[in-house]
Amino acid sequence: MSAQSRRNFLKLSGGAFALGSFAGAPAFAQSPPVKIGVLAARSGVLASIGECALATVQWWADGVNKAGGILGRKVELVVEEEGNPKETAERFRKLALRDNVEMVTGLISTGSGLSVGPIAEELKTIWMSWDATTQKDVEETLPNPKYSFRSTDNEVEGLMASLLTVKHFKGKIKTVANLGTDYSYGRNMWETFMAMMKKYDMGVAPVADLWVKVGTTDLTTFVASLQQAKPDLIMSSLLFTDAFIFVKQAHAAGLTGASKLVMPAGGFQLNEMKKQYTPEGMILGHNSMYFEAPNASPLLKEFVAYYKGKTGLFPHFEADRAYSAVASWKAGVEKAAQQTSGKWPSKDEIIKAIEGISVESLGGTFSYRPDHIPDCNFYMGFTTHNNPYDIVTISPVETLNTRDYQKPAGADFFKWIQAKQFPNLS
Amino acid sequence: MLASANILVGGVFHAAVLFLVAAGLQIVFGVQKIVNLACGSFYALGAYFGISALAWAAAFEVPAIAYIPILVGSGLLLAIVLGPSVERLLRLIYDRDEHFQILLTFALVLIFEDAIRLIWGAVPLQTINVYFAFGELRIASDLAIPNYNLIVIAAAALISAAFGWMLRRTRFGRIVRATAENKQMSEALCVDVSKVYMAVFTLGVALGTVGGALVVPAGAASIDMGVELIVDAFAVVIIGGLGSMPGALIGALIVGFVRSAAIWLYPEFELLAIYVIVITVLIVRPQGLLARTA
Amino acid sequence: MTTSTAPIAARTASAGTLKRALALPALLFLVIFLFPFIAGPHYVILMFSAMGYAIALLGLNLLFGYTGLLSLGHAMFLAIGAYTAGYMTSTRITNFELILLVAVAIGATVAVPIGLLCIRYVKIYFAMLTLAFSMLLYSFLFKFYHLTGGDEGIRIKVPTLTAWDLSGLDTLSVLTGPLYYYVFALLVLLTALMRCLTGSSLGLQLRAIRENQQKAEYLGVNVKRYRLVAFVIAAVYGVLGGVIIAIPVGLADPTIAYWVQSGNLIFMLLLGGYTNFLGPLLGAVVFIFFQDQLMSFTEYWRLTFGVILVMIVIFFPNGLMAAVDRGRWWST
Repeated sequence: MSAQSRRNFLKLSGGAFALGSFAGAPAFAQSPPVKIGVLAARSGVLASIGECALATVQWWADGVNKAGGILGRKVELVVEEEGNPKETAERFRKLALRDNVEMVTGLISTGSGLSVGPIAEELKTIWMSWDATTQKDVEETLPNPKYSFRSTDNEVEGLMASLLTVKHFKGKIKTVANLGTDYSYGRNMWETFMAMMKKYDMGVAPVADLWVKVGTTDLTTFVASLQQAKPDLIMSSLLFTDAFIFVKQAHAAGLTGASKLVMPAGGFQLNEMKKQYTPEGMILGHNSMYFEAPNASPLLKEFVAYYKGKTGLFPHFEADRAYSAVASWKAGVEKAAQQTSGKWPSKDEIIKAIEGISVESLGGTFSYRPDHIPDCNFYMGFTTHNNPYDIVTISPVETLNTRDYQKPAGADFFKWIQAKQFPNLS
Repeated sequence: MLASANILVGGVFHAAVLFLVAAGLQIVFGVQKIVNLACGSFYALGAYFGISALAWAAAFEVPAIAYIPILVGSGLLLAIVLGPSVERLLRLIYDRDEHFQILLTFALVLIFEDAIRLIWGAVPLQTINVYFAFGELRIASDLAIPNYNLIVIAAAALISAAFGWMLRRTRFGRIVRATAENKQMSEALCVDVSKVYMAVFTLGVALGTVGGALVVPAGAASIDMGVELIVDAFAVVIIGGLGSMPGALIGALIVGFVRSAAIWLYPEFELLAIYVIVITVLIVRPQGLLARTA
Repeated sequence: MTTSTAPIAARTASAGTLKRALALPALLFLVIFLFPFIAGPHYVILMFSAMGYAIALLGLNLLFGYTGLLSLGHAMFLAIGAYTAGYMTSTRITNFELILLVAVAIGATVAVPIGLLCIRYVKIYFAMLTLAFSMLLYSFLFKFYHLTGGDEGIRIKVPTLTAWDLSGLDTLSVLTGPLYYYVFALLVLLTALMRCLTGSSLGLQLRAIRENQQKAEYLGVNVKRYRLVAFVIAAVYGVLGGVIIAIPVGLADPTIAYWVQSGNLIFMLLLGGYTNFLGPLLGAVVFIFFQDQLMSFTEYWRLTFGVILVMIVIFFPNGLMAAVDRGRWWST
């Protein structure tokens, strides 16, 4: 079915559904719309990430409205741009104070997250974050957030990549190299990886420790440097444009044949991991959503088809981050409304309802812990060329749930790694 | 040892890219005394437009040999379209304090940043076929330099030589040099200075756009690629000397090598090394290494 | 750039002209003073921010408008202010006045050597050198994360005030209440101080240097020293502004020092009118509020700003104040 005819079908079926429920549910016209603020990065390095997330939220909102809205109220998105922390803080305040939105969703960058978190708490505005979480966030700024709902610890994909490395390469590698993205996330990834290598007595020594400035488009020197170091395995936390440029330039120089590659967050750039230069047998991570997950739900399939039709690209995992955030909030509202006999619940009631809630997201079941950190699936696997596309896919797809792989509230991350008995990967 | 050769080539490749952008800065400054903050933007525009041109050409299934001319051609085309219009805009404030010219080019940086997003979108773009189409230079069993890198280096060297020849041997070059040295005298000698300015500015833009187009197959085009490059380009022209074309070459090589060496030997200082060199040069020899006038 | 003997003439102006001349600054300050009563909290915090920018721009105007030096790296001083606030509020010393004092001390200390290097050059070289220094700071703040927090920066908590007990007040109330007026008082004070400076012989010397450096030298003006003084004063104002701007953000991070931010500062100054004393204040307020409205209106706000800047540079180089300028008391 073409994208256009599918859209028409959805419109018709949605319309029919609305008509059908007209008798029971309050019509849109009678209730004021529910305004949701969206803080999406639209320029700079984060632009392609933010755009995907924004498109997902818009798709979700359209779907919700076609089905009658939330408690009969139409969803209206107020979109602002996530920029540097100062701009983002300003836009957040604008959404909360001037637009009086019910909830703000968004944010990818950690710096902005550190600024917005306290503001959300102070203004008592529910903030459903897409990303913007690192160790520091959780430890320092908001130890007990009430209004902020965070994203998963980024370290989970580092853990998963490490576990896969241990499972498949123990005894087979002696040297490792770091090709890190030069900011807090990259540092967290490398520290996590090396801590895990140590924990499992992998006996590997780091022979190169390279850091790529965010926004770099020429990595030839990094490739050359790695070739000189001759590592058995390269752990690369690159996740922006530099991720696929690295693979491209590495392939051209012969590096991808010589060293094993691990890219825990490379899935962001899945559309650019072309078969021409991306090797098979590379560990590629897709965070909380893989577009071709083995047990893909109808929801995921519908979304992927929609997104591909609209943009020509497959969605990356930020789509799930965004979807799960807004879907959980909606579910929380509806659950709280059961106690208030259909009236719009208060923020406190909504928050209580979201804690512990479970929804079906694009990446599978998604839930929020009482400490406002989510549990969800993570997907990672070895790349293969065996597919009908021009990009690599992963097979078999390893899935894990953060319930077993994400540290509990208040724990020290590295101490927790040391002590934890990780269940074996399937 | 062999891998060091690879690092060397990496440094030269980076230098080649920088040279093209910096050369564009230099020629415009040398003649018109304008510091064009938008030189990085032209580079980015050239990259995006090059990708579009190749995508368009792919529909006609052109052979690999045509890729390079298409890229260069698209860069030139873009320059011919953009250069004169931007120059006309700048012309309105030639007689003003040069501060205003810098600020006008800053405005252009803002405009082009959004224009790119408007036209090509936020998702990074790349072209696949070109980079691998020319084979590679195999140094060892697991060590190769893609010939495309060498082509880019050669192209930059060729352009550099062509420029030198143009400035020194052709009539146009002599007029350009004369106008650069003494605008009023040139005018007195019946040189149509406004035409020279337009040609020179377009040439400067072309260097940026062609540079962007040539380099993009090896990497990708992203929205912020122009803004980041400005600082490097500035570093190159300060080190080499404002207004000096050979200076752009030397400066580019220095910055390219320092970058490579830092990445290889002392990554902590990669970012800082360039600025430290810039500041040192500005203190010790402010006119740059090769400028004739301070 | 305009030459003017206005200050001398103004002193002999009639009472009527003076009254008219004082009208605009008084009006502006009145509006800002009453703002928390007439505008919603989001706008009040914007005005808070604008006051910070106005202070920074007062200094930048001294450097650019009066001394003729275009700095493309002024944002580095805003960053120094922000990080000072960050480091200090993370200790027990959260007193606002103390933060400002320490920031001034650090700003001046950094400004002297940088200034000594930069003011040897003019025009392009000065611009490029200041850009290089600010990007050096940016890289340093980004790279040396053990000291600076890297991309995550340093948290800034709301400071305490000596004259006012803020306990029990939430951040929003503080920002739209006691701290707002504190900053307002600071703005008025610093504006008056700058007025004195520019009206004094310092102002005259700087203008002379701007007009004709050689002539000034022949007349015995120590060009280097005066330029350095202007640079350091501008730095101090910049640092003060930086502290204020960063407080509502709650975070000091490297992006504050990025070169595009310096460009925006010049944009603001040009918008307000750099040849005019009130230019900085007007430019800051108009820019901040206009940006706020524009960002909600279109996602292509950078493009719009670029076009506006082009218009200003070409058609309205003396900014808004040129349009408003009636009396001459406050013009240069």
